[in-house]
Amino acid sequence: METLQQALSNVLQFQVLIAVLASAVYGIFMGAAPGLTATMAVALVVPLTFFLNDVTALATIVTLEACAIFAGDIPTTLLRIPGTPSSAAYVDDAYTLTRQGRHFRSLATSLAFSVTGGLIGTAILFAFAPWLAQFAFQFTSYEYFWLTLLGLSCAAVVSSDSLLKGTLALVIGLLLSMVGLSEVHSIPRFTFGFDELVAGINFIPAMIGLFGFSEILRMLAGTATEKIQADSGDAGESPEKGRKGPSEPLRRAVRSILPSLWLRKLSTLRSSVIGFFVGMLPGAGADIGAWISYAASKKTAKGPSTYGKGSLEGIADATSANNSALAGAWVPALVFGIPGDSVTAIVIGVLLMKNVMPGPGIFTDPAQSVLVYSIFITFLIANLVLIPVGFAAIKAGSFLVRVPREILWPIILIFCILGAYSINGSYFDIGVMLAMGVLGFGLEMWKVPLGPVVLGIILGGRLEQTLIQNLTKSDSFLDFFSRPVAGTLGIICLALWLAPPLYRLLKRKHG
Amino acid sequence: MRLIWLVALLVLTGCQKEDRFPNQPILLLCPWATGGGTDRMSRQIAPFLEQELGVPVNVVNATGGAGVTGHSRGSRARPDGYTLTMMTVELNMLHWRELTDISWEDFEVIGMINSDAAAILIRSDDTERWPDPRQLIAYIRENPGQLRASGTATGGIWHLALAGWLEDEGLSPADIKWIPMNGSGPSLQELVSGGVDLVCCSLPEARTLLEAGEVQGIGVMANKRVTGYEDVPTFQEFGITWTSPAWRGLGLPKGTPSRIVERYTEVIPRILRGDVVVGGVAFPDLMARQGFDVTWQPPQDFEQTLVRLDRELGRLLTGSAFSEVESGPVAPFEIPSILLGIGAISLILLIFREREGIRRLSLKGRGISVLKIAESVLAVGIYLLVAETLGFVLTATVLLFLLFLRSGVALRVSLPIAVLLVPVLYQIFSVALKVPLPRGMLGW
Repeated sequence: METLQQALSNVLQFQVLIAVLASAVYGIFMGAAPGLTATMAVALVVPLTFFLNDVTALATIVTLEACAIFAGDIPTTLLRIPGTPSSAAYVDDAYTLTRQGRHFRSLATSLAFSVTGGLIGTAILFAFAPWLAQFAFQFTSYEYFWLTLLGLSCAAVVSSDSLLKGTLALVIGLLLSMVGLSEVHSIPRFTFGFDELVAGINFIPAMIGLFGFSEILRMLAGTATEKIQADSGDAGESPEKGRKGPSEPLRRAVRSILPSLWLRKLSTLRSSVIGFFVGMLPGAGADIGAWISYAASKKTAKGPSTYGKGSLEGIADATSANNSALAGAWVPALVFGIPGDSVTAIVIGVLLMKNVMPGPGIFTDPAQSVLVYSIFITFLIANLVLIPVGFAAIKAGSFLVRVPREILWPIILIFCILGAYSINGSYFDIGVMLAMGVLGFGLEMWKVPLGPVVLGIILGGRLEQTLIQNLTKSDSFLDFFSRPVAGTLGIICLALWLAPPLYRLLKRKHG
Repeated sequence: MRLIWLVALLVLTGCQKEDRFPNQPILLLCPWATGGGTDRMSRQIAPFLEQELGVPVNVVNATGGAGVTGHSRGSRARPDGYTLTMMTVELNMLHWRELTDISWEDFEVIGMINSDAAAILIRSDDTERWPDPRQLIAYIRENPGQLRASGTATGGIWHLALAGWLEDEGLSPADIKWIPMNGSGPSLQELVSGGVDLVCCSLPEARTLLEAGEVQGIGVMANKRVTGYEDVPTFQEFGITWTSPAWRGLGLPKGTPSRIVERYTEVIPRILRGDVVVGGVAFPDLMARQGFDVTWQPPQDFEQTLVRLDRELGRLLTGSAFSEVESGPVAPFEIPSILLGIGAISLILLIFREREGIRRLSLKGRGISVLKIAESVLAVGIYLLVAETLGFVLTATVLLFLLFLRSGVALRVSLPIAVLLVPVLYQIFSVALKVPLPRGMLGW
């Protein structure tokens, strides 16, 4: 208790609070700019942490991360350029809502559920961190293989309307991920003599191309979106109402949030727990978490047909999972010094720089546990600060919706170029963005979902690696099921793929 | 008139700029991902360089391809001293693995700044079985192919360290099953969860798990114990002569003027000695806190080290024993072929099911304008072609303006937006967010 008080007084200081506020604004900005990621935002403040004390330095990073992840939803919703890979899970929902003039509703939902997910994640971190770390260390390459496959299956099977189209999209993504140097074989594949291709296809430019650039093409081609309005039949405000003025619907959107939070309390808890657990596993991360919880949300929803066409439920569940995953990633980082994601990898460096040694002792050593509790408290504050700053960002960003289309698309094009280039400072990535844009345009004409393509690019390498690791370790396929967690995950995966055709078969027999 | 003056002033300052080095931001390329050891070193040395050189030093992670991307970009950059590369030991290996032509000879080396020795780590409950490297090697000799080890990808530096040791002992590298992993972090987790029996990586990478008592270092492949890890014995103490090398150093593209290289060789030893203090702390102290070693080798000594290592690692990588290891249970093109098969099947089924819909797919039938699509694709193409020479601001402004024209925006709207927006974007991305946007001829 005394440590908690000490931590509280460490955090509630002028310097810390100013740092939190400043990094919230900066984080929102970095997250909202296409191509700039939370990881980059955090990496850029590392030199600054030289001059800050440990609590302030960590508070800066925590706030940055929480705000940047939410801010990724702003371009996702308004421009159809996913700010983070996890927003790719609900980009179609969010953008459809914008097209219907309901962008405030969509963004307010993102914000409210991001904050809630973040708070639930913080609570789990606060209560169970040391114990959970032990659990995370039960995961071997067998479990990772099934978990990765589960994330991919969720995207391909559950989230798309047609099993065949989902599979096709997934296979395209996986094949794209095979380009470049294969770490397990240590030979380059499909590089056609290009040195740049040895590094493979970076998913950020790919994502910007698949969603953002292809939308420009659709806009120009005249096939974009008017149809979607007619398609989605769910009640609510009509598009005309949404277009009236910016502030009135915002207020209304905000007012509707609290009841919907209460209504969805259980599913939000479920999504946050999923997000936290997946985020906690080193190398799994928020993207898998968001997809799995989107799929779980669709499976349990009353109206699964609206998913992908402007479902607020889907957005709510996926976004609470990805914010909760952030807190999860701190578990292995604090307890074992093994980062849960790329942001916590930087955090470990900063901790060491400040003479704080991550390890199980961090919770028992009184000097260090004060710092740990300070981190937890900043998580709390960061999520609370996100509410006003996030709303300001929504208001500021949504003027984009009122910009006439013919002015907007050339600017988006420049942003696509800028975003693709920014991540690695490489011209080649602009080319990748271009090619993916054309691919995305083609696939959408066929109504092939784009989400599985992105997730395939992100996770394909890991899927192949873990598969080969497992095959190198053992000779029998049964080993894939021999461990309890691996077995369970494996059976869920197989069930996901086999259930739809079996169900159809049974129905045909009885019907 | 005022405009002319402004232009004249710009040109003048542009000319003056050439005299002094450095006068614009320096790019520090890190070939490895954010958060790793190399990234940490790069990001932490950057503020010290900034202070000494008086210009911003921006770190960019050019990752992928086991280091090919970063190193090749660093060696091909303009040799003007403004692109610095944090080189790593992979530079001695990549060309032997035929992943790239680039070797250390494509760089003007500034010097080595760090050297971490490989160590053998096991789970703490295994220490009774193999208390030291001698016992471990005896066990492997009796049970070849039984133990599973990891630390990095197949053919990575830690794999080579282990394989080299086995060869040194008269064993084959294949006598230990190497499980390819994505770096030392995942490998250590796999060690703790029981997926592998030993990990070969540097001690700083395993620091937390060592202190937590989860893993134990039974030997480090060096001649003297590592500062901060004094309880881990060296191989030499057991009469093993094998040492394993891993280094980090700084380099500039080949052909950089010697006066610029000398500027760096004069500044960097000062930083490494601790003469430069930023935020109340000197670089060696900062490194010591994180358990990183700081070793300065001036260019001539460093070049000798590089020649020696290139020979040693080349012998290992091209040796017959090693190629045996590299062929895993799944051939490189097996999984892509399976995927292609699945893709083809679902495509055929899809076409079969949607025979009707496909006829309606033709572009013309939907009133789609191919010309407009081609134009926007072309716009990106033009950017790719000219941005490097003209710079971001000029290219993007003109492009944006032309696109506005095509899209039918009135001149009084399009011109101000294009002229104002692009420079603002440049300021934000390039200055505040440190994205290395192309500067072009005008430096803007």
